[in-house]
Amino acid sequence: MSVDHKVSSLLPLLSSPRLLPDESEAEFQSGLKSLLSELDNPSPLAVALISQLNESLWWIRRHTVDKELLLHEAMARLLSKAGSYSETYDNRKVSEALERYLDGSADKDEAEWIDEILTESKLTLSDLRVRAFKDAAKHIKMVDDLIHRQHQTMRHLQRSIDSIDYKSRLLKRMDLELQALESKQSVKGVLSLDVEPS
Amino acid sequence: MTLNHPRSLANRCNALKSTGPRSVAGKRASSQNSRKHGLNSAPDFESSSEYRALVELIAEEGFSAFACADIASGLLNYRRVMDAYYDTYTSPEPVDEFLRDVNVRASNPIFSELLSPSGSEPQDVREMAAFFASMQRQERRKGGPVSRRSSDTHKLIRYQRNGIARLSRAVRQG
Repeated sequence: MSVDHKVSSLLPLLSSPRLLPDESEAEFQSGLKSLLSELDNPSPLAVALISQLNESLWWIRRHTVDKELLLHEAMARLLSKAGSYSETYDNRKVSEALERYLDGSADKDEAEWIDEILTESKLTLSDLRVRAFKDAAKHIKMVDDLIHRQHQTMRHLQRSIDSIDYKSRLLKRMDLELQALESKQSVKGVLSLDVEPS
Repeated sequence: MTLNHPRSLANRCNALKSTGPRSVAGKRASSQNSRKHGLNSAPDFESSSEYRALVELIAEEGFSAFACADIASGLLNYRRVMDAYYDTYTSPEPVDEFLRDVNVRASNPIFSELLSPSGSEPQDVREMAAFFASMQRQERRKGGPVSRRSSDTHKLIRYQRNGIARLSRAVRQG
C-alpha cells in the first residue's frame, strides 16, 4: 500500500487540521510529506499520528508569531498612552502605524509620527520594547505555556509512533521466525515421510 | 454518603441566599458563562460511523478489539479537542474599542448631561464615572486581540493534555 493510499484510508475519518486564511496549504502539506518520508513504510495509524504531529508543529509556529505580536500590541498600547492626559492617541491608528514602522513599510509621514510620539514619551524603540515586554509578560508566559504544551504533545505522539513501528517490526520478525520454523518442520516431515520403514 | 448529606443540604440552602455576582468584574465574568467550548460534555463516539470505520482499519494493524476501540475513541476525542482549540483561537472575545479608548474623566460632562433629566446629584455622576472606569480597566486588562486569543486558548491546555495522554496510552498499551 503506498503512503498516499494510507493517507486516504484513515485520515478522512478524522477532522482535518484547519488553516488560517493567510496560511499556505501547500506548505502545510509539504511539512506532512517530509515527516512521512522519515518513516519507512508507515501504517495508516502512524500516518494519522504524524498528521497530528505536523499540526502541533504548525501550532508552535503560530504561537511563536503570537509572541512577537503580543509585544507589538503592548508597544502600541504604551505609545497610545504617551499623549497628554486629556488627549491620548487612537490605539488602533498607533497600532497599525507601528506595525508598518517595525516592518519597515511605513511611509515618511507615519515614520515621522511614530518618531514624534517616541520623542514625546522620552523613549527609544528598544526602551519601548523592554517596557512592552514587562507589560505583556503575563500573556507572553501564557503563549510559552501553549508552546510547551505542543512540545509535550509531540513527545507523546513520537512515543506512540515508535511503539507502532516497534510493534510492526516485532510482528514481522515473529512472522519470519514462524515461517522459518514451519519450513523446518515441513522439511523434517518430508524427510520422515521419505524414510521407508525397514 | 449519609455524612455528606447535611453538608450538601446546607450548601444548597446557602446557595439560595446568593444574589449572584455583585462586583462589576463578577457580573462581566458570569455574563460569559454561556460561551462554552463543549469539551466538558461526554462524547458519544461509539455510535458514529467514523468510529466503526476507524476500529476496522486499526484492527487490520494487528491490535486487539479492545485496543482498537480505545485508539479510535482516543483519536476522535483528540480531534474534538483540537477543533475546539482552533475555534477558540480564531474567535476570541472582541475588543470593545470605544470602552478601551474613551477618556473617562473627560466624559464627566456627558455623564451629568445623561443623568440631568432624572435630577442627578454630583455623587451620582461620580458613581457612574467610577463604574465606567472599572469597566474600562477590565477591558484594558484583557488586552488586544492577540492577548485575548492567547488567554482563551490557554484555558484549553488541560483538555489537550488529557486528550493526547489518553490517545498515547491507548496506542502504547495496544
